[in-house]
Amino acid sequence: MKKILVWDLPVRLGHWLMVGGFILAWATGDSEKWRLVHVFAGSTVMAVAAYRLLWGIVGSRYARFAEFVRGPRQAVAYLKSLLQARPPHYAGHNPAAGWAIVMLLGLALASGASGWLAYQEMGGEWLEELHEFLTGLMLAVVGVHLLGVLVGSLAHRENLVWAMVTGRKQGRPEEAIAGQRFVAALMLLAWSAIGAWWLAR
Amino acid sequence: MSKAILLALLAVSAAAAAATPREMIDTYAAEAVRQSPGFQPSARRGAEFYAKRFAVSDKMPACAACHTDSPAQPGRHAVTGKAIKPLAPRAEAARFTDPAKTEKWFRRNCTEVLGRECSAAEKADFIQFLAEGR
Repeated sequence: MKKILVWDLPVRLGHWLMVGGFILAWATGDSEKWRLVHVFAGSTVMAVAAYRLLWGIVGSRYARFAEFVRGPRQAVAYLKSLLQARPPHYAGHNPAAGWAIVMLLGLALASGASGWLAYQEMGGEWLEELHEFLTGLMLAVVGVHLLGVLVGSLAHRENLVWAMVTGRKQGRPEEAIAGQRFVAALMLLAWSAIGAWWLAR
Repeated sequence: MSKAILLALLAVSAAAAAATPREMIDTYAAEAVRQSPGFQPSARRGAEFYAKRFAVSDKMPACAACHTDSPAQPGRHAVTGKAIKPLAPRAEAARFTDPAKTEKWFRRNCTEVLGRECSAAEKADFIQFLAEGR
């Protein structure tokens, strides 16, 4: 086992854009003074999540949904193996993490859509309530995700936060992905900037 | 028969959620009385509160920053530029008919414009002013 590249640049860049956008949106949610910042931050999260859906189909190996979306039984089996301190190592996402990713992407899109519709005044007060509920739910899943990252890092003696920065994890050389996908990363930046600007108009 | 019961239940639940500005003034006033006995809602104090420049926030120094000098007029969001319906119930009937919504916006706007939450007395005076005008 050595350090190999598993997360391509669009995955990492998208991840940290969502982190930044979510924190900023959460911090400014109750403020009218920061309303435009809130809408722009939330729009960025939504734009990144939308790009990630496409990247989950055409992206590099470990970015693909087909590679990491597993049934609930496998997710539970993985969690049990964690409790027994004998978790199998995955070069990419483990089955439990796969669930967190799908839920976070779904909630990012649903929360973003409800917030955007509320901002455009396309519904009543209930849209705001829905937006707040979905965002609260998303924060809860973020908490579970962070706990999973901590437990996974300890169980495998591998800094998973740093892995999301460098893209490198433990693995066999033949499991590595071929490249960073710079062009797709640039497209993600352009898409997110244009998408967030368009949504926040 | 069951339809009648259902309708009655719906009417009751709708009545439980909805309120009139008068009822909300009374609720806030009752709370204010507990803190300062003899409190009476005052439209004059409400008007002074509405017109006051708290100057805590540069973009939103006072109520009028978004709601204009006259709360019966449509307002305009000081940051986003979006239109805001009149705040006064005499101009916009839906205002101060949903206690939860009213509380939420008092909490948000007071925190931002005054730098603190509003007291029950201030809320009672505020709605009194908006309901009857001056």
